[in-house]
Amino acid sequence: MLRLSEIKKSYHIGPTEVDVLKGVSLNVDKGELISIMGPSGCGKSTLMNIIGLLDRPTSGSFELNDAEVLYTNDDALSDIRNRNIGFVFQQYFLLSKLSALENVELPLMYRDDAAKFTREHSMELLRRVGMADRAGHRPSELSGGQQQRVAIARALVCNPALILADEPTGALDTNVGGEIMELFKELNAEEGITVVIITHDPGIARQCQRVAVMRNGVIVP
Amino acid sequence: MIIGANIKEAVRSLLSSKQRTVLALIGIVIGIGSVIAMVSIGKIVQEESLRQFKEMGTDVLTIESQFGGGEPSTGGRITRSAPKSKIKLADVLAIPTECPGISAVAPSVRGNGEASYGGKKLQNAGMIGVTESFLGINKLKISQGRFISDLDAHNQFCTIGSMVATEMRTLGSGDVIGKKLRVGQSLYTVVGVTAEVLEGGMRRFQPNETIYVHITSALRSSREAEISEIIARVSTGVTNTVARDQVLAYFKSKTKKSSVRVTSPEEIIAQMEKQMQMFTLLLGAIGSISLIVGGVGVMNVMLVSVSERRREIGIRRALGAKRGDIRGQFLIESIILSLIGGVLGILFGVGASVIISHFAKWHFVLSSGAILLGVGVSNAVGIFFGYYPARQASLLDPIVALKSD
Repeated sequence: MLRLSEIKKSYHIGPTEVDVLKGVSLNVDKGELISIMGPSGCGKSTLMNIIGLLDRPTSGSFELNDAEVLYTNDDALSDIRNRNIGFVFQQYFLLSKLSALENVELPLMYRDDAAKFTREHSMELLRRVGMADRAGHRPSELSGGQQQRVAIARALVCNPALILADEPTGALDTNVGGEIMELFKELNAEEGITVVIITHDPGIARQCQRVAVMRNGVIVP
Repeated sequence: MIIGANIKEAVRSLLSSKQRTVLALIGIVIGIGSVIAMVSIGKIVQEESLRQFKEMGTDVLTIESQFGGGEPSTGGRITRSAPKSKIKLADVLAIPTECPGISAVAPSVRGNGEASYGGKKLQNAGMIGVTESFLGINKLKISQGRFISDLDAHNQFCTIGSMVATEMRTLGSGDVIGKKLRVGQSLYTVVGVTAEVLEGGMRRFQPNETIYVHITSALRSSREAEISEIIARVSTGVTNTVARDQVLAYFKSKTKKSSVRVTSPEEIIAQMEKQMQMFTLLLGAIGSISLIVGGVGVMNVMLVSVSERRREIGIRRALGAKRGDIRGQFLIESIILSLIGGVLGILFGVGASVIISHFAKWHFVLSSGAILLGVGVSNAVGIFFGYYPARQASLLDPIVALKSD
């Protein structure tokens, strides 16, 4: 599903060039539940941005569903993000002016074929994450765990093959974080969705089938 | 991208920062409003002066002697060498019989000399020598007494304009009929007063400030006096051009040089409309300055809105919004803002011109052009001043946008 080879990324900070990723190679098969773990500053966020097609590497090759995506133009990358990748962020990133249901529907706004997704489809996803009774609530009226559930429903709305979660439990206490992890495991087991979780928490990483550990811009075997 | 959803989003976003939206609206309302007010007042003034014009009818020709008093001087000296081809009164009076296209003529002679009553100068009074037909052709009305008659040729009688009558009364004349006033060396007995009429238009004299005497009296009063202007009414069913050609041919047959100039109201109206257009354009340009200020206000609000919503832009980009989607979203927002401003501005501008024309006693006309202009211009302002912020938003790097708070 994902095939990264020799991904390098460097930033210019003033006159100095900082190598954040120093040749990351990683394969993720369809249906895997994998965590990428490492201390902060190891480059895992940069890797997540590259996997999520929000950033481009300086060099290397990245195949998504057997297609090289690095040379694709910006609009096409947006389309791939929309159709294939569901994002879950540490700070949920729900739009505060929209209700839970409207937040779930938001990615549909950017599809030409949005008409084939009904409101019932979005409601069904809210039900799936246990938030059906809060559909009309604004994010500010929801707890952190509830907001993250809504964000997961939003990530699922376009039926993606991959869910990319960046510290999904980082802002939640352990119990709630555990519930969110259960949800990911369920989605992975029942729907066969590939889940990539980026975390610095070994407790979270341990719950995944596979753990890739990063240190200083490389994945350590 | 669904435009409907974008419009909903835009309205929601504008409502969520009401204070800022209202401030931007004030700018755009004043801008559009002043353009509308300026343009529609220009239009109203134009209609107003044309109305004064048309009141006299468009079937009149003005015939002027080209070698009249206003002959151009050469080398600073007044040249009297050119033989003055004075128009003879008899020739003028024969026009309706000689030219079938003309039904009536009213020649006039500008008199000179100060007018006074009881030894005191009349400030606003000029003398014109006329014939009986002058009253009808110029659509003047008598409010008291009678107008000069063709039988008055050998009498020193005059009919005076309403302002002259008022001035005489303030000088203590009481009833002006029968009183004598002096113009130059001659004394004239007042036999009538004309009703007050609007000035301007086809009448090239101030009807309310004139002392009308019989044309022969005026010609007699001074050696310099000559027929300077003839107003001719065109017969029904004859075009102004045909009548004009007949008049020109007639004068050519009378004098060796064709010495008259014939002006039809169409020409004057066309010239006036041209001037009025310039005037309206000027007013519109002044209004546009405030429109630019309003537009800058819109741009400012949109820039603030973009920088406040950087994270939202990042989220939308991550969820699959293309650059064009983001640009469209902000552009729609600024267009909606400007259009609301435009509609309010139209109401404001039309309201202002109603009030102004009410106080100026002008006839209010709603010009559909001004409204179309308002809608069009506000749309253009929205696009023009919204494009830069929208482009800024669309060019944001999604990662940078997501990290900002």
